[in-house]
Amino acid sequence: MTEIAAGLVAWVGASLVVLSDGRRGLALGMAMATAGLAAIVWADVGPVPAVLVAIGGAAAAGRRLTSGPAGWNVMPGGSTPRFILCVAAGLLAAWVAFGVTGGHGPGLRFAAISVVGLSVARVLFTTAPETVLSGVSVLALAVATISEFEQGGAEPWPFLAAALIAAGASWIPIRAADAA
Amino acid sequence: MPPESILLSAFAALTLAFALVFAPRAVSRRSLAVRGGVGLGAIIAIAVVPNLDLALLVLLAIGVVDAASAGARGFGARLRAPVLAVGLLTLAGLLARAEGPDVLARFAAVGLGAGLAAAVGVMPYLHPVEPDRSQPWSSTAWLAFIGPVLAVVLVARGENLLGPDAGGVFGAILIGIGLLNVAWGGVAAWLTDDVDAAWRYSFIADWGLVLCGLGLTIVDGRRAALLLLFTIVVGRLPLYVASRLAGREKTVTERPINLVVAASLAGAAPFAGFAARILLLRSATQLAWPLALVLALGMLLWLPGSYRLGQSLGLPRGRTAAGILIVLALNIVVGLYPLPILGVARL
Amino acid sequence: MPSAAVLGPVVLPLIASGVIAAFGLARIDLGRPVAAVGAWSSVLALGVVWLTLRSSLELALGQLGYGSAFDLRIDAVTFAFGLMISIPTAVLLSLQPRAWPDSVLAMLGLTSAMAALEAGGVVLTAIAGGTAATLAMVLLDTEDPRAPRPSWGLLLAGWLALAWLGVIFQVSGGTAVYAAVPVTAVSVSAFALLAVAAVLASCLFPWRTWPAQLWSRPSLRSAGVVTATLYPLGFYLLVRGYELGGGRYPHAAFNVALAVIGAATALGAGARAQAAATRREFLGEVISGFGGFALIAISLGTPLGLAAGIVLLATAAAFVACLALLPDRTGIGSLLAVAAAVGLPPGISFGGRVIGIEATFEAGDLLGLIGIAGAAVWAVWMVGAARAIGLPGGRGHPANETFPRVAMAIALATLIAGPALALFQLGFASPVVAEVMPQSGIGVGGGVTSLVTVSSVLPVVSLLTPLLLIGVGIYLLSGSSAVRTQARPAIFALPTAGVERVRAAIATAAIPEQYRSILDLRELEAAAVGGRPVLWLAAVIALAFAVTR
Repeated sequence: MTEIAAGLVAWVGASLVVLSDGRRGLALGMAMATAGLAAIVWADVGPVPAVLVAIGGAAAAGRRLTSGPAGWNVMPGGSTPRFILCVAAGLLAAWVAFGVTGGHGPGLRFAAISVVGLSVARVLFTTAPETVLSGVSVLALAVATISEFEQGGAEPWPFLAAALIAAGASWIPIRAADAA
Repeated sequence: MPPESILLSAFAALTLAFALVFAPRAVSRRSLAVRGGVGLGAIIAIAVVPNLDLALLVLLAIGVVDAASAGARGFGARLRAPVLAVGLLTLAGLLARAEGPDVLARFAAVGLGAGLAAAVGVMPYLHPVEPDRSQPWSSTAWLAFIGPVLAVVLVARGENLLGPDAGGVFGAILIGIGLLNVAWGGVAAWLTDDVDAAWRYSFIADWGLVLCGLGLTIVDGRRAALLLLFTIVVGRLPLYVASRLAGREKTVTERPINLVVAASLAGAAPFAGFAARILLLRSATQLAWPLALVLALGMLLWLPGSYRLGQSLGLPRGRTAAGILIVLALNIVVGLYPLPILGVARL
Repeated sequence: MPSAAVLGPVVLPLIASGVIAAFGLARIDLGRPVAAVGAWSSVLALGVVWLTLRSSLELALGQLGYGSAFDLRIDAVTFAFGLMISIPTAVLLSLQPRAWPDSVLAMLGLTSAMAALEAGGVVLTAIAGGTAATLAMVLLDTEDPRAPRPSWGLLLAGWLALAWLGVIFQVSGGTAVYAAVPVTAVSVSAFALLAVAAVLASCLFPWRTWPAQLWSRPSLRSAGVVTATLYPLGFYLLVRGYELGGGRYPHAAFNVALAVIGAATALGAGARAQAAATRREFLGEVISGFGGFALIAISLGTPLGLAAGIVLLATAAAFVACLALLPDRTGIGSLLAVAAAVGLPPGISFGGRVIGIEATFEAGDLLGLIGIAGAAVWAVWMVGAARAIGLPGGRGHPANETFPRVAMAIALATLIAGPALALFQLGFASPVVAEVMPQSGIGVGGGVTSLVTVSSVLPVVSLLTPLLLIGVGIYLLSGSSAVRTQARPAIFALPTAGVERVRAAIATAAIPEQYRSILDLRELEAAAVGGRPVLWLAAVIALAFAVTR
């Protein structure tokens, strides 16, 4: 049950990343997605990978709080399609995770599918560098979480790599001229 | 780790060394070394990491670094294809490992095939065109530098994940995408107005054959794919770089060297491309001769475009000419006697 | 004799090309002498191996990496075709001046062509033949990029088709080695591929293709070498086809179809020749004409036909050297060349055509009709030759690359060699027949003085020697004063206007206005390279939909 709740938190966080154009909204979404994913990883894999995910996500969210368009700007005008996308992605992920697939970790599957889908969609349909990088950070953490399904169990390396990418992506300098 | 990936990493290092040694003096060696070094590091990382998830993270990282590097195109636009690739491959990995109906594994095969195409940047997932022509490497880095190792790693890992049924679907998807790229790349390289675009489409056409080879799932197909990747990394890429380095002052010429380069690009005998085509026809014949017929007809599309690309090199002089001769010689040696390379790759 | 001796005809010209290149880079031009040594040493090496052993010599050096071993062999077929390629090449390289890069390319072309002939398997032949084709393109381009040259696409298609045939044999028969391919693997579809490869490799078509076009180049240095090295290779494949099929083609339809193509090729060349505006144009069609007649004979599937084809090809090889060295001016040299080329008695060309046409009648059925067609085409050639004597010479290639006496000697040699037809057949063509049609015994019967066929005996010495003596006598009595050089009208005009109209219609064909928006390639390209995520996602959905079907 905890895992499912954590999955829902991750989905809400990824949805916030999709729905927000301001740095506060993006940072909150990243933080929620990180929290949800870290909680699932803690439950399914162990504390060390969870901490790595949490650190990476927190660093990314913290950086986002200090750079990018000011304010919350959650669901600005014309964002109805994005909202529908978030709901549809959640429903589809839930159907696949709980209805179609079986085995252990349904919450993890739900979180991974929804976060990957929404973060990729965010990157595909925006051009603002800060928003794109927010999506990349969340995507990196979600990619690491599926290593739990690796044969022989998950190792800490994907989580460490994901944390480094999530944090590093938020800090990477984008020259203004190139960020048109 | 697939031995082909180590071999292709070595080829990429060789090509980088070629560019550093044989580029004209006016080209910044430092910039070349930094960009090439980062790419080479990513290639080696993709080749040596122990599982698919780490490879995807490396792919994501190099995508971000590439998008953030110099270039007038939008950062977001440049990052789209790698992110889509990572997303599709991640979902494919998840579905392949999950318990459920057989169709899940088929969807995983779709994710792997489409993700591979998106990562490399072939049809229908062409990376946006680089409008800044002062950046000769960024536009083709995915196709010719990072792509080969990435493709080999993804196919090897993907085949491990998928069962026989989904493996067959994966192969069919690769062949389908491959044929699409053979047709598109061959015709577009021939008909497009822009020479730089023609070069890009020629890489795409080569990739079409590579994907067919990888999709054929028998050892001859893998051999053909490896030799074709060799021709991309150690043949087409350095020749493309030489063409770009020829600069604005270059004039389209029709010297013997241009024709020899055209022959090399077209996969004519005795260059490595011809040996690769023989192996590809052999593997296709073993599975379904109509496919071999389609491939044989498609292979004729290379010639008109290659003729034009060969001319675009102008009249190379000095160290560039020496470099081109070395590239051509390497391609001839491998074309006549590919066994050592195939042996190192354990194929 | 050690097996390594088979490397000689291939390696010696390769070494010569390396020497020429090394000295050339050091600004010392050794082109002509070293090329001559290299080419003649190839001839010598081939002759020594075959004439010493009179049987096959093979060298296998292990796998190369595409399912084929490095397997070379010299047998009767290699010997015959090797001489057809290497002797005219050697003559041209010995006499004509050329820059050292041209000499290097020509020697490499000779190396590739000899490797194609010595290759023990189909795949290796395809690689070597494809290399020869590539080098031919480069050689012609080096000499004059604007002059006519072969269609690279057609050549590549031919050798690619052969490569595919090789892998089909590897897959279905376990090997592509000529001597080891099971007859059951030589299916109708596989052989169709071989026939296509052969026709494309030598461009055996009724319309004007490179074997005729090359002779209209401003310089004939490279044209001669390219024709010498490339043109026989397609016929070589057809001869090897008999070996692959156990002495016959897998279906009689191939014999008929190829013979029809041959007749059409000879007729096309003859029609163009009789309407030629200059003598050079006429002579430019000679090789195509020989090719057509040789194809008729070779494709008949009988020992006599094959022997006739080999004789005609050998004569054509001699004419390659002759035409490249012949100056474009009126004189006894041109007269002899024209006479010998069209098969004036008692030349060997005459003898070859006679036994070729006789072979069609002996083969029976529809092939007899092809023999009648061949005779009619020959008549067209004879009339064309009579007209060509009075035509203007043509543009004229550089004097320093012409050697009128050598050209005349070659033409004369082919004319007076007619009485030696049986001897030539016995020593040169018959071993080829015995090699690829082992069921025929020693090939064509007879001795050094006559040819014995199924239906008749052709006493070539007693029949042709008097003709030769009569011809010499007439010439001695009248000299060349009896030769009238006024231009005469063509027998019939070529339908060039109609062809041009069709070509122009095809060239100007365009998509109808109302459909252009659907088939606009530029818009399609823009859509594909636009990096539109919607298109990408649609592609993913389409693939997902496809795999659930």
